[in-house]
Amino acid sequence: MKFKKVLALIMTGIMASALIAGCGSDKNESQLQTVKDNGVLKIGYTVYEPMNYEGEDGELTGFDTEFARAVCEKLGVEPEFVLINWSNKIIELESGNIDCIWNGFTITDDMKESVDFSQPYVENKQVLVVNKVNEDVYTSTEALKGKTVAVEAGSAGYSVASGDENIADTVMTVQAQTDALLELKSGTVDAAIFDNTLAENMIGEGTDFADLVVTATLMDEQYAVGFRKGSDLCAEVNKCIDEMRQDGSLTAIADQYGLELAKAE
Amino acid sequence: MSASVVFSKLFEGFGINCTIFFVTLLGALPLGLLVSFGSMSKFRPIRYFINTVVWIIRGSPLMLQIIFIFYVPSLIHIGNPWAAFGTNGRIVAVCVAFIINYACYFSEIFRGGIQSIPKGQYEAGLVLGMTKSQIFFKITLLQVIKRVIPPMGNEFMTLIKDTALANILATREIIWVAKEFTSNRGLIWPLFSTAIFFLVFCGVLTLLFNWLEKKMDYFRT
Repeated sequence: MKFKKVLALIMTGIMASALIAGCGSDKNESQLQTVKDNGVLKIGYTVYEPMNYEGEDGELTGFDTEFARAVCEKLGVEPEFVLINWSNKIIELESGNIDCIWNGFTITDDMKESVDFSQPYVENKQVLVVNKVNEDVYTSTEALKGKTVAVEAGSAGYSVASGDENIADTVMTVQAQTDALLELKSGTVDAAIFDNTLAENMIGEGTDFADLVVTATLMDEQYAVGFRKGSDLCAEVNKCIDEMRQDGSLTAIADQYGLELAKAE
Repeated sequence: MSASVVFSKLFEGFGINCTIFFVTLLGALPLGLLVSFGSMSKFRPIRYFINTVVWIIRGSPLMLQIIFIFYVPSLIHIGNPWAAFGTNGRIVAVCVAFIINYACYFSEIFRGGIQSIPKGQYEAGLVLGMTKSQIFFKITLLQVIKRVIPPMGNEFMTLIKDTALANILATREIIWVAKEFTSNRGLIWPLFSTAIFFLVFCGVLTLLFNWLEKKMDYFRT
């Protein structure tokens, strides 16, 4: 008898919480208006060269930083850069801690289901990275059949690897792209797949990863800004990007960081 | 990037770990004592309620609790209580999660300590005409403190290492800072040198607890 009462109590609790979770989703309000009213656009970023990083003076800089600042100026709001954990980016966006994800965010079909992307602004590639000793062996994914390949969970590299029948079964996911480098260097995996922009910055002379090399390009991809589904911010930011393309200011920033702009749609 | 720059940045990060550590102790020690009273309460509803809470908190991962406490209020649209703290909101959320979590563990240690004191002492106190609170503070408490010191030492050490979990909310604690060196400068060694900070901290804790135990040595039971 007592057991039944306790059970009833627990069930009530569960149903009450479901009720709270169910109501109050006000998807219709204009996020553009909210942002303009607050005068602040909250931008989720991670420290990631050359997109967002701290310069010598400790100030946040990088391509995406300058780009976002310029767009905010056009919108007439102040940018607020919020440091996030990349694997939590969708939760951060959905819970409203940030208004957009602006950090070299690769457009993938999977991600399109959770966020609205702006127009693409930068071209990037996914590259295959291996240890120097294997430079002549692992030149393609065929050569890696049965070998372990590290990729970042939920990244574009993961999409490439899991879609490639040669290596799909032996993919190992790690928390961050740089963890993949660590795995590779310590020899626990045979290869890794990640962004070319990162590869150019991270491996080679003067780093701890001098003995890693890029052996192949697997996929071209594009970066865009991610917004909540159905947000009217997206269209407005697209307009600003168009303006910056036309007056050449976007090209100027891209050249400064050695990036290649995506073609206008 | 020179080693001194790296270490000063790591040190800065470890400041956050230490902040979480001390704030958690400050909150969880008294709260833990309260919870332990609740779990020993003669009034059944309170006892059941507290035991259920303790079961939930001890039975789920701390990392999940941190994520839950920070994101769920705004995900279910009841507002974001952490926004009031501005840029410190994330650390405040982490501290609250830690306090709740550790209070539950502490409460069990306290309960064990309190219940290990022979009932005869309590009855003797009653016979001498002492009140309940007099008995607790003048007879029981000091013996409890002595008995809970070794298991508490364990918890303190677990706590300082658990503070690294704060990085799930992108707080710049030491492990996060070290990983930034890996991702942005291609340096691996900062990550592993964070161990030095934890080792030194735990070393000091060990000495402190040894000293405390010695201090309480006169107090044989």
